Amino acid sequence: MKTELLLLALAVGAANWAFRVLPVLMMRGRLRPGSLVERFLAATGPAAIATLFVAAVLPSLLPVPRDVVAMAAGTVTVVALFWMTRSVAAATLAGSMAFGAAVFLLS
Amino acid sequence: MTDPTPRLLSGLAASLPIAAGYFPIAFSFGVAATRSGLTGTEAFALSLIIYAGASQFLALALITSGAPLLVSAFTLIAMNLRHVLYGPALMKEAGEKATTRAAWLWAFGLTDEVFGQAIGALARGQRFSESYMFGLGAGAYASWLLGTAAGAWAGGGALEAYPAVNAALGFMLPALFLSLLLSVLARAHVPVVAVAGGVTVAVTMAASPTAGILCGMIAGALTGVIRR
Repeated sequence: MKTELLLLALAVGAANWAFRVLPVLMMRGRLRPGSLVERFLAATGPAAIATLFVAAVLPSLLPVPRDVVAMAAGTVTVVALFWMTRSVAAATLAGSMAFGAAVFLLS
Repeated sequence: MTDPTPRLLSGLAASLPIAAGYFPIAFSFGVAATRSGLTGTEAFALSLIIYAGASQFLALALITSGAPLLVSAFTLIAMNLRHVLYGPALMKEAGEKATTRAAWLWAFGLTDEVFGQAIGALARGQRFSESYMFGLGAGAYASWLLGTAAGAWAGGGALEAYPAVNAALGFMLPALFLSLLLSVLARAHVPVVAVAGGVTVAVTMAASPTAGILCGMIAGALTGVIRR
């Protein structure tokens, strides 16, 4: 393995480890309810998931929408299955299968 | 009423949708890496050590363009800055009794998808456990490594022979994020979600997807601060 490539991987890997691990280890003590930090962190989860969902579908919509029908089929299936089962795994798997089936039928 | 403390196997089971979504992306990385001139071992090492999808694809571009080591390292590190938010947000939901003795190990697996799955489970009333976090992270990590190895050594074309399967696997992560969003969504979070989504679109179009993700998360979280 090339030395420069290994050094790059180690530097980036070490930073990723620090970004993911150190904040967990440094989170000590109880946050004061209603404090700015507590409110910020409470909103971080929904904000992150919403952001990642948008970032995941955006490449299919911009600049030219692709697989719109399949995406609609997948999205409706996820919403319907989650509404019926309240199961993240079932909704995810069913939505993906609906997307794949729509792509197959429309191809 | 909360569920009993979830264990390793529960975490592994919860990682299945993530693992299914990771495999084709890692496979693509393995193919792209070997086509860029890396050996299979080098491609696998990047996945093993870095374990961050977008960073790894960008690393290939930087390596093949001959960018200086320091510039490449700084660029790739900056891409993952958003991950510093995940640990504190997760531990806040986990509660003050949550232990972090093995966090040095399981928290390396705190990717976007693993964080989303974990925070969604806590929001649905599941208790925090380090065993569960380890199982959740290990399943996703194993899939990432297996996918990279398969792509590097089997080469491109394997998944292309099955376009419907390929398409279904490609929609796995958007479907997972949508399911997670539905699972954590409450009326109080609607402005947070709307601002996060809107800012992500705007900044992605104006600057880059990396900046869009970081700005979207921070703008959404700040909306939560202002709203109450």
